[in-house]
Amino acid sequence: MGTVIVGIIVLAIAGGAAYSLHRDKKNGKSQCGGDCSRCGGHCH
Amino acid sequence: MSIKIALAGNPNCGKTTLFNALTGSNQFVGNWPGVTVEKKEGKLKGHSDVTIMDLPGIYSLSPYTLEEVVARNYLVGERPDAILNIVDGTNIERNLYLSTQLMELGIPVIMAVNMMDILEKNGDKIHLDKLSEKLGCPVVAISALKGTGIKEAADKAVDLAKKAATVTIAHSFADSVEAVISAVEAKIGSDVADEQKRFFAIKLIEKDDKIKDMMKSVPDVSAEVQKLEDEFDDDTESIITNERYQYISSIIHDCCTKSKKSEGGSVSDKIDKVVTNRWAALPIFAAVMFLVYYISVTTVGSWATDWANDGVFGDGWHLFGIGTSAYNDAADEYAPYDAEIKGFLEAAEEKAPDVTKEFTEVYDDEDAQEADVDAAIKAFTSNSAIKSLTTEVNIAGEDEDEELVNVNVATFETALEQEEPDPADYGVWVPGIPVLIGNGLDAIGCADWLSGLILDGIVAGVGAVLGFVPQMLVLFIFLAFLESCGYMARVAFIMDRIFRKFGLSGKSFIPMLIGSGCGVPGVMASRTIENDRDRKMTIMTTTFIPCGAKLPIIALIAGAFFDNAGWVAWSAYFVGIAAIICSGIILKKTKMFAGEPAPFVMELPAYHMPTVENVLRSMWERGWSFIKKAGTIILLSTIVLWFLMNFGWADGSFGMLEAEQLDSSILAAIGSVIAPIFAPLGWGNWKMAVAAITGLIAKENVVATFGILFGFAEVAEDGAEIWGQLGASIVPIAAYGFLVFNLLCAPCFAAMGAIKREMNNTKWFWFAIGYQTVLAYIVAFCIYQIGSVFTGNIHVVGLIIALLFVAGFIYLLVRPYKESDTLKVDMKKKAFAK
Repeated sequence: MGTVIVGIIVLAIAGGAAYSLHRDKKNGKSQCGGDCSRCGGHCH
Repeated sequence: MSIKIALAGNPNCGKTTLFNALTGSNQFVGNWPGVTVEKKEGKLKGHSDVTIMDLPGIYSLSPYTLEEVVARNYLVGERPDAILNIVDGTNIERNLYLSTQLMELGIPVIMAVNMMDILEKNGDKIHLDKLSEKLGCPVVAISALKGTGIKEAADKAVDLAKKAATVTIAHSFADSVEAVISAVEAKIGSDVADEQKRFFAIKLIEKDDKIKDMMKSVPDVSAEVQKLEDEFDDDTESIITNERYQYISSIIHDCCTKSKKSEGGSVSDKIDKVVTNRWAALPIFAAVMFLVYYISVTTVGSWATDWANDGVFGDGWHLFGIGTSAYNDAADEYAPYDAEIKGFLEAAEEKAPDVTKEFTEVYDDEDAQEADVDAAIKAFTSNSAIKSLTTEVNIAGEDEDEELVNVNVATFETALEQEEPDPADYGVWVPGIPVLIGNGLDAIGCADWLSGLILDGIVAGVGAVLGFVPQMLVLFIFLAFLESCGYMARVAFIMDRIFRKFGLSGKSFIPMLIGSGCGVPGVMASRTIENDRDRKMTIMTTTFIPCGAKLPIIALIAGAFFDNAGWVAWSAYFVGIAAIICSGIILKKTKMFAGEPAPFVMELPAYHMPTVENVLRSMWERGWSFIKKAGTIILLSTIVLWFLMNFGWADGSFGMLEAEQLDSSILAAIGSVIAPIFAPLGWGNWKMAVAAITGLIAKENVVATFGILFGFAEVAEDGAEIWGQLGASIVPIAAYGFLVFNLLCAPCFAAMGAIKREMNNTKWFWFAIGYQTVLAYIVAFCIYQIGSVFTGNIHVVGLIIALLFVAGFIYLLVRPYKESDTLKVDMKKKAFAK
């Protein structure tokens, strides 16, 4: 049972990470966390 | 009736600060249609019918930059009800150039002189009433940062907009110029509003092509243009520019009073005399960057990362460090006994493996009862094979020199009687994340394979990367400080002098400065470079500067192989700059990239002490994106890597592997195919090859991969041993070559995507990636082969090839390049094209 619960948590975390990447890409966000379409390149 | 007010002004004049103060949170941020220029509009606080449009910062209404085109199209096309023109009071002469153009649009203008507080501090004075009289528009004083005067400015703007007053232009040019303007105005048709005719006339006289797109019928003004150019012996754009500045100078003298203090030059000027000095500039820059990296990576950052790696992602740590010293003393006292136990058990395993295994299963079980442990010890030590066993064990002495000690059963029993110090007895002990998670998984009864995935995969990989967060934050603080105080702008100016020698300009260095944070915006910032060849070259070389993601690799190599020496991190930065300079010299001598460097003009903002809030916010923004990346891309990569590492073919079947079967894994199979490519670089083992390849997903992955492959979780008890294991895998010179390879080779997928978009051409994209990777390979090869001579490990064939590479490189750097003076045209192609 413990294995199942932990497995579900790991799947949820991995799934959440994948979804977050997909959502950011769809919203035009870069890996830097910013918005590429509005980026003036001033990420400092 | 809704009112639109436009905020217009030069960049860095405080427009956005004013916009934020006027609108609060009632803002909408988007993009101007079809372009990447940001569009900001919001409702004026307390006036729901008043919309404030924050236009991009511009120096003029000429159509040279996208920002100028966007702002002009809005002002001419949308015709706001009023313009709130913000000028920087400390730099009023340059700011008034735009103001004179805004006043020609026929839209009511109110001028807000910003930074009055700095002006007063300098002892300078602007006579606002005189300025208002000369310009023919209301002028108010504000300090957008402090919030003074902004309400009055906004109320006056709303008042002006509501009155819809006729605009009278106060400034005028020379009589002959005014005569020509009037003549052109008379030619403009009724499709242009009367109050805008002067603006259009001046733009037509300036030969502004883009203004014609805004007119239904364009009159022929060539005669008028020729007349002016003959009279002034100059082009009409320069004539109009001169006229504007003459007018501005004529009013500045009456309206502004400078104190004696500022006549001697501002503080910024005095600092710049040293910082941008022809001879001292570069050494100062080198010293500044050395200091930054030394403190970040070697001292403060290193201490913080050791705590993160050994404490948070290791066994644990004492809260506030209380008890650490006493525990370390106790641990040092116990260490010889621990070495004796381990040494004796190693020898026992060889002599009597089954007996030893039986004993260690009970002895290592943390849940075993004391009586069971005592019984196991008695059974083990009374075994005939063990009783007669004597072995030699290396024990570290007080001066860290080792001595050989004989260990027999009696010595072993004495050592077992010693109690291993428990760190929790010496202060408040906070267990590390792997310990907490491991205990939790044991308590819940999680299966071994899943525990392995979590601890040896996810925690090991993500933890290895997150362990460097403290170092990164320290570095980001320094970079944010240098950026905010205004020094980094000077660096672009300093680099212009060097870049110009090989055909680039300082404008190409700005994307590289940005790329030191992340390569993606760095590559995209190359859009500001008008010259196509220079832009392509900049795109290809921007990622040579170490980005934030490469810093953990630098820190890891410095720590594992060079005892955290300060020169490693600093040299990585300058290897990047050297690669850029050398690439520029070599490529500029090819037909593809030859040409004169573009002129470079940039504003040097005044030096000022950044606010703590701004520096910390900048540090956190970049740090957070690093952490978020660890929690997404790195996390997913570690899961994939773990599966590839723990599954493979062993004993004739495919399945999950034991720890000692790592070399039979899928990952090892993939790595073994790639590894021979890197053998000439000194790191031809599959683990290093796999780490380099995973760096293509995200550069931090190199560190995460090392964390998994070198058994991070297992050696966490000893804290620093992971780097010890890595340090034993290859020689230091090969490690430095590995570092340089990862710094210079193709960047991560996201940056590659940016390169592809900016190149807008598949062939150029692959050329860029190929160039970077080949350069990285050759440089790493030369470092290893030539460096090995100094370490006494000469490979003759490799050395000869490396020397040939170096000779070829030097030739490409120094060879003369002659521009072709023969025009080669394929006449057949031209004929058929027609």
